[in-house]
Amino acid sequence: MTDRSITVNGHPWQAQEGETILEVAARHGVEIPTLCHDPRLKPAGACRTCLVEIDGWRRLAPACATPVTEGMSIVTENERIDRHRKTLLALYMTDHPQSREESERGAPDQLFDMVARYQAPSDWGVLENKRQGRPDDRNPYIQFNPEACILCARCTRYCDEVESVSAITLAQRGSETTIATVDAESLLDTTCEMCGGCIDVCPTGAMAEKIPLVRGDKPERELEKVRTTCNYCGVGCQMDLNVDPDAREGQGKVVKVTSPPVGTTTNDGNLCVKGRFAYDFIDHPDRLTQPLVRGEDGELHPTTWDDALAKAATGLRGVTERHGPDALGFVSSSRCTMEENFLMQKLSRAVFHTNNVHQCAAT
Amino acid sequence: MTHPIRSSIPDELQKAGGKLEGVAREIAQRTGIPEAHIYGVGSFFHLLDRPHQKVRVCTGLSCRLAGADEVLKAASEAGLPVESCSCLAGCDVPPAVLRERRVLPAVQVEDVKRAGGDWQRLRSSSPLVAAPHRKDEHWSGSIGPENADPSQLVFDLRGKPNFTGEAYRKAAEMGPEAFFQQLEDSGLQGRGGAGFPAHIKWKGVFQQQETTRYVVLNADEGEPGTFKDREVMLRRPDLVLEGLAIAARMVGAKEVFLYLRGEFEVPWATMESALRRFVDAGTFGDIQFHFHAGHGAYICGEETALLEALEGKRGMPRLKPPFPVEVGLWGKPTLIHNVETIACIPPIVQRGGSWFRELGKTEPGTKLYCISGHVQRPGTYELPLGIDLDELVEAAGGYLGTLKAFSPGGASSGFLPASERNRPLSFQALGEVGSMLGSAGVVVLNETVDMKWAVMQQLEFFEAESCGQCAPCRIGTYYLRDSLDKHMASQPRTESLRHVADTAWQMNEGSICGLGQAAPLPLTTALRHFPEDFER
Ligand SMILES: Cc1cc2nc3c(=O)[nH]c(=O)nc-3n(C[C@H](O)[C@H](O)[C@H](O)COP(=O)(O)O)c2cc1C
Ligand code: SF4
Ligand code: SF4
Ligand code: SF4
Ligand code: FES
Repeated sequence: MTDRSITVNGHPWQAQEGETILEVAARHGVEIPTLCHDPRLKPAGACRTCLVEIDGWRRLAPACATPVTEGMSIVTENERIDRHRKTLLALYMTDHPQSREESERGAPDQLFDMVARYQAPSDWGVLENKRQGRPDDRNPYIQFNPEACILCARCTRYCDEVESVSAITLAQRGSETTIATVDAESLLDTTCEMCGGCIDVCPTGAMAEKIPLVRGDKPERELEKVRTTCNYCGVGCQMDLNVDPDAREGQGKVVKVTSPPVGTTTNDGNLCVKGRFAYDFIDHPDRLTQPLVRGEDGELHPTTWDDALAKAATGLRGVTERHGPDALGFVSSSRCTMEENFLMQKLSRAVFHTNNVHQCAAT
Repeated sequence: MTHPIRSSIPDELQKAGGKLEGVAREIAQRTGIPEAHIYGVGSFFHLLDRPHQKVRVCTGLSCRLAGADEVLKAASEAGLPVESCSCLAGCDVPPAVLRERRVLPAVQVEDVKRAGGDWQRLRSSSPLVAAPHRKDEHWSGSIGPENADPSQLVFDLRGKPNFTGEAYRKAAEMGPEAFFQQLEDSGLQGRGGAGFPAHIKWKGVFQQQETTRYVVLNADEGEPGTFKDREVMLRRPDLVLEGLAIAARMVGAKEVFLYLRGEFEVPWATMESALRRFVDAGTFGDIQFHFHAGHGAYICGEETALLEALEGKRGMPRLKPPFPVEVGLWGKPTLIHNVETIACIPPIVQRGGSWFRELGKTEPGTKLYCISGHVQRPGTYELPLGIDLDELVEAAGGYLGTLKAFSPGGASSGFLPASERNRPLSFQALGEVGSMLGSAGVVVLNETVDMKWAVMQQLEFFEAESCGQCAPCRIGTYYLRDSLDKHMASQPRTESLRHVADTAWQMNEGSICGLGQAAPLPLTTALRHFPEDFER
C-alpha cells in the first residue's frame, strides 16, 4: 500500500491508496454525517448527506464513495456544506413522518438525530407519501413502513451483497420508488431467509421487527442493551439483548435482539434468523430450566443433576448390555460448540464403542 | 461475443408482454437471475411496468400547445387504454401519440374518433403519413433551411444516404493518431447536451490499458423539445452507422451498442435496414453491432444510466468520476456519443477538421436545431452553431404571435425572455446566462402563454422522470411541483413558493446527475424573468 498525502480541513494527513475520504476522516475523528453508508456494502453515494468539498472540483463529492488521491485537499465544514446539510435534511423531512413518535415505532430514526445535530429546518411542509408497502405481508418478523423509508437502499444492497439472497429490490421510480418483493409477495414466498439484516441496516426504522410493534413494546431507545453470545450455534455471534427493565414487575424482559455495530465483533453486525428473532424461548413456559426424570408414575419430576446423569448412564449401559453398542446412536444439537461436539463423539466412540454419532447441522 | 445474462432482462420482460404478475418469477426460473431484480427492472420502465396501456399521448409543452389534452380526453372517452406520457421526440409533429411502441405524428381528435374504440385502429391522418407512398411506419418531419448549399452542410438531411463506406476506409488509412488530430481540429463538441470536446473522449478510450473497449450510441432522445436524432436516423442512418464504425475502429472496439428509446420503432427499422446493407457488403469488417431498446425512461439518456440499462439494471445514473471513458459498460472503457455527434464523424473524415470548424458561427460546426411551439414550420434545421433565435425562427417561417419566452435547449435549460432573442444559441453564450444549449430543443412561447402553466409542464416532466435514487431530486422534483400546485390553487397567492430558492439550490448542489441539477431551472428562471405571471 502506497501512502497518499492529503489535507483535510487544513491538516496534512497520510492516507492509504484506496481509502475513501470518509474512512480517513473517521480515523482522525472528523465527523461526516452518513445515512446510506455501511462499511460492508459498496458505496452507493445516494443519500447525499456526506458531501464534502474538494479543492478543484466544481461539485461537492460524496465522502463515502470518493477515494483519496495524492495531494487532495478536502474541506468537511464550511458555509456551503452547512447550507447543503440543512437544505437536504429539510427536504428529507417533507417526505417523512413529522414526529419521532410517529416514525420511531421500530428502531431509532437517525434522520431526527441528524436534523437536530445540524439544526435543519423541519417546517417546509409535508408531502403525501407515494411509496407503497406490503401491509398484508403475513411473514411473522419483518414489517416495512414505507412512510419512514428514505430510500438509502441499505436493505436491498445488504440483501444482495452480504446475504446474496436478493429477496427485496428497489421498485418503481421517482417519488414512488419503494422497497418491494417480486409481485409484492409476502417475504415468506420469496427467497428471503429472515436474517433480519435489512432491519438492522435501516437508518430510520422503516424496516422494523414486527413482534415488538404488534406487542406494543417500548421504542428501542428506551430499552437496555445487554451484550451476550448467541447460544443457537457454535459460531458464537455477539448479540445485544434489548431488555425492557420495567417489564414483569421490574424483573425485566428481553423484547428484542439487535446486532452490535458493524466492525466491533466477529459477526460484523450480522445475525441469522434464530439469533435475531428466536428469543421467545427465554421466558417460555415450556422452557426446561432444571433436570427432570420420569418417575414410576410416568410423569417427569424435578431432580438433581447427579441423579439425572446417573439415571441416563444406567439407561445407556443397559441398552449396550442387552443389544450391543450399535443399538445406541448419539445426536448432538447444532447449538453445541465444536468442543462439545468433539466430546460427544468421544462419548460415542471411546465410551460406548459405536460410530453411530451425528450432529443435527451436519447435513 | 456473449454478454452477462442480466443484460437480457429488459428484452425478456418485453417478450413476455411486460412486467405482468408471474412474469418476473418465470424469467427468474429460466435464467437464474434473482426474481426481485427482474421485478425491480420491470417496474422502473413505464413501457414494461404498464403494458396494458396501449396508447400514450405526449403531454410535453409543444404537444400540449397543440391540443394534446383534447386528444387525451377524446381517447379516454372513447374507451382506449390510454395514459399521458413524457415527450415522445415528436414536438415538431404535435400532438404526438404512441401506439404501443410506434409514434404517430400529429394525431387529431377526429383520428381518435375514427378508431372507434379500438386502439389497434388508431392512425394519424396527418399529411406526413397520408401521402400515398407512405404508411404510418414511414414518416419524417420537416427539415431545413430551404435552399441550403449542401457543401456547407454536415448532415445534409435531404441528401442521399451513402453506403460506400468511403469515410470508414479513409479513416482506417489515416489511423487513430492522425484522425484524433482531425477531430481536435474540428472542435466537435458533444451534441447530447454537455458539449464536451469529442476528441478528449476518443483519445481517453484509446489510451486505456484495458483492451476490451466498447462504443455506445446514445439514441434515447427524450429531452422535451428535442427530435433531431430521430430525424438523422430516419434520413441519414448511413452517417450514424459509419460514424460508429469509425469510432470502433479508431478506439479499438470490436462491439458497438445502439441504445434507441423504445418509442423509436420507426427509426429502429430504418437503422436496421441500413445496417443490413453495410453488413451484407462487409464494409466494416468484424465490428459487431447490437441494438438495444429502451422501455420508457428519460433518465436512460444520461450516459451512465444508459450503461446500467444496457447491463439490464434499473436506469439509475452512476457516480462520476469514474467516467465511462475509464469505467463504462461492464466496467470496460467505453466511448459513448449522441446520434448527432457520431453523424458528424464521416463528414469530418471526408472533408477535414478545419472545414467543420469553419462552418460554425460562434462555435465549431453546424448544429441541428429543433424548433417547436409557436413558429410557422416546426422542424429540424441545420444551421451554423451560434445563430440566434430570430435567425432560427426565420428559417422556420417566422413566429406565430409575439415572442414572450423561449426554452433554448430542452426543459433542462429553463426559460429565457424575449430580450435574449439575439443571444447566440451556443454552448458558451447560453451557459453565461445560467441556461444551456443542451440538446438544442428550442421551444418558442408567444404572448398567449401563462408562464406558470408552462413551468408546470416541465416540473411534471421531471417529477415523472426522476430515477428516484437521490433525495435532492426524488423529493425536490415532487416538492417543487407540489409548491407550484399550491401556489396556483390559492387566491390570493400565498407563501407556497418560499422555499423554492433553497430547494433549487439543494437540487443543483446535491443531486447525483444532471436531471436533478437542472430540474428547478424552468421554475427559477421563470420566476426571475416573468415574476408578474406568478402574481396574477
Ligand atoms: C438527464 C439527462 C438526460 C440525457 N439525455 C440524453 C439523450 O437523450 N441523448 C443524448 O445523447 N444525451 C443525453 N444526455 C447526455 C449524456 O449523458 C451524455 O453526455 C452524452 O450522451 C454524451 O454524448 P455526446 O458527447 O455526443 O454529447 C443526457 C444527460 C442527462 C443528465
Ligand atoms: S431478512 Fe435477510 S434475506 Fe430477508 S429480505 Fe431481509 S436481508 Fe434479505
Ligand atoms: S427500508 Fe430502511 S434501509 Fe431500506 S431503503 Fe428504506 S430507509 Fe433505507
Ligand atoms: S438527480 Fe434524479 S435522476 Fe439523477 S440520480 Fe438523482 S434521482 Fe436519479
Ligand atoms: S453516506 Fe455518502 S452518500 Fe450516503
